[in-house]
Amino acid sequence: MLWPGPGGADTPPVRSLYERSAETLDRARTGDAFGPTPGAEPEPEPTALAAIALDDDAARRWLTDAQRPDGSFGLTAGPVENDAPTGLAALALPPGDERERALDHLVATPARTLPPDPVVPHDPNVPGWGWALGTAGWVEPTSRALLAFRRLRPGATTQIDGAVGFLADRECVGGGWNFGNRSVYYVDLPPFGQTTATGLIGLHALESGYGLVLGGVDALRRLWPVEGGPLTLAMSLAAFRLLGLSDADDVEAALDRTLDGPAPDVIALAWIALASGPGLSELAVPP
Amino acid sequence: MDRRTFLRRAGIVAAGSAAVGLGAGAAIPGLLRRLDRPWDDDAFPPLGRPKVLVARVASYDVDLETTVEEGLREVGASLAGRSVLLKPNFVEYDPETVINTDPRLVAATVLAVRRLGASSVLVAEGPGHRRDTPFVVSASGLGERLGEVGARFVDLNLAPVTRVPLHARFTELGELWLPAPVVDADVVISMPKMKTHHWAGATLSMKNCFGCVPGRIYGWPKNVLHWAGLQEAIVDVASAVRPELQIVDGIVGMEGNGPIDGTPVQAGVLVFGTDPVATDSTAAVVMGLDPAGIWHVSEAGRFLGQADPEQIVQVGEDPERSMTSFDVLPVFEDLKTGPDGGGDPGAHAGLGDANA
Repeated sequence: MLWPGPGGADTPPVRSLYERSAETLDRARTGDAFGPTPGAEPEPEPTALAAIALDDDAARRWLTDAQRPDGSFGLTAGPVENDAPTGLAALALPPGDERERALDHLVATPARTLPPDPVVPHDPNVPGWGWALGTAGWVEPTSRALLAFRRLRPGATTQIDGAVGFLADRECVGGGWNFGNRSVYYVDLPPFGQTTATGLIGLHALESGYGLVLGGVDALRRLWPVEGGPLTLAMSLAAFRLLGLSDADDVEAALDRTLDGPAPDVIALAWIALASGPGLSELAVPP
Repeated sequence: MDRRTFLRRAGIVAAGSAAVGLGAGAAIPGLLRRLDRPWDDDAFPPLGRPKVLVARVASYDVDLETTVEEGLREVGASLAGRSVLLKPNFVEYDPETVINTDPRLVAATVLAVRRLGASSVLVAEGPGHRRDTPFVVSASGLGERLGEVGARFVDLNLAPVTRVPLHARFTELGELWLPAPVVDADVVISMPKMKTHHWAGATLSMKNCFGCVPGRIYGWPKNVLHWAGLQEAIVDVASAVRPELQIVDGIVGMEGNGPIDGTPVQAGVLVFGTDPVATDSTAAVVMGLDPAGIWHVSEAGRFLGQADPEQIVQVGEDPERSMTSFDVLPVFEDLKTGPDGGGDPGAHAGLGDANA
């Protein structure tokens, strides 16, 4: 959206945050897709985010071609199968077999668990999802899976309830989330802005997650002004927007100033465009 | 063969070797382990008699640039005409404590390395606990300090990656995908904070190499490495990164529940070295810990570097006379009292945290 600048018709038009970020994001592409930094080899996570943010069919086609035989999306490094972008890719794909296979992969691959351990307290009954196959569950990949199921396969109640249970189990004292552990060696870990925003994005408009959302919002309101990195701000904006909270306006203003500096990496940039533009509706779940 | 060529050609040897990894969290009795030699002998030169220098440095307000330059000269650093990557520890940021390598030391090292003739120098880190690297760089003050000395920072979590086959196989990883800036640098200088570590006993120049492993593949907080066996992964990753130089920031270190939730402790030292095992072994002594009881130091001392104090040439202060006894968690109390400590190398590995 363009509108006259504050000085009237002779001054350059003010461009919206979405326009600015989308234009920069579009310039960062590598062929049809996106790498983690401008011009880098394409990868599933930035491509999925950009496909949603820009409503980009070429990026979606690249994603489809990048789907692995097991339905997942990610990076492979020898025996390490990172499948953490699978939830995001499912959200980016149009209805069809590819999307369903991505969701089937998530159903089949919850995280690995360890026995109960007072040093790292956790409930082994709610494994969540990990960054890589065969490893422990963490907040970000679990929230992605939660959102994908809620939007695309709402009948997957076992998975949805499990993801909410994971987020409840790993909630920090006072609300919000660290990376996934709530306490280590009897020390409560603090919440982080980016991971708290991630949890809120997964939980927005979910009745069973209401208490978690309240605590998360309190934490995020404290954290985003202090942390203020581009990815934190972008995901905070997405979270506040999805929750319908007016905090989004202040975050958007901060992001606008961020774009005046060095260009963020492509993942952060895609989240800015996604959070500030029409693509956010692709992440929204009706109450 | 230079370092880049070595890393890129590494696959030739690795392809002909059987994997002898230990799996996630496995604990093998020490005696049996001694029978294993899970590394390629011809990929590692014979252990020598490396120089290590312990320098007494009371604070970050002294002339750190000269201190670092002299320290590197004393241990025989050769940087003229070579590209240098500084790898400090910025795993996350907390203003209340001392998680990170001090930014003043990093900036001083940039200047010292230039004085020593390096063709280029960049500073790089892949924070393990934060995806938002610009936040860590800014909030910690590193960005401002690097701006003052005109140094570039690279986020190793996002940099292009190169496959590096492993010549050590304490884990079953077999290979690592490391950031191109790490692989391409002529010299990597590991610059850890001197800290205790709640899973590994201590985190020094070898453990600091976890920050070279990109989060977008191995996750945040690099949990794949913990499932592979934390102490085993420290050895494998360090033997892949092979930091040619080490500068341990022990001016103010961290004791107790390190590497994140510990307590600042004024140790008043910098430790310089050209062998990560010798440097970490010496730094452990400075911390009042028995290096023979730190599993990854002990194991790496079999092939990667020199862990035998009798074979390490101390060219600075006597490490024992420079000792500040770091508090440790009860599980590592034996490190302070006996030679056979070190605990279970796989304990709590699966839920552990990252490159701190």
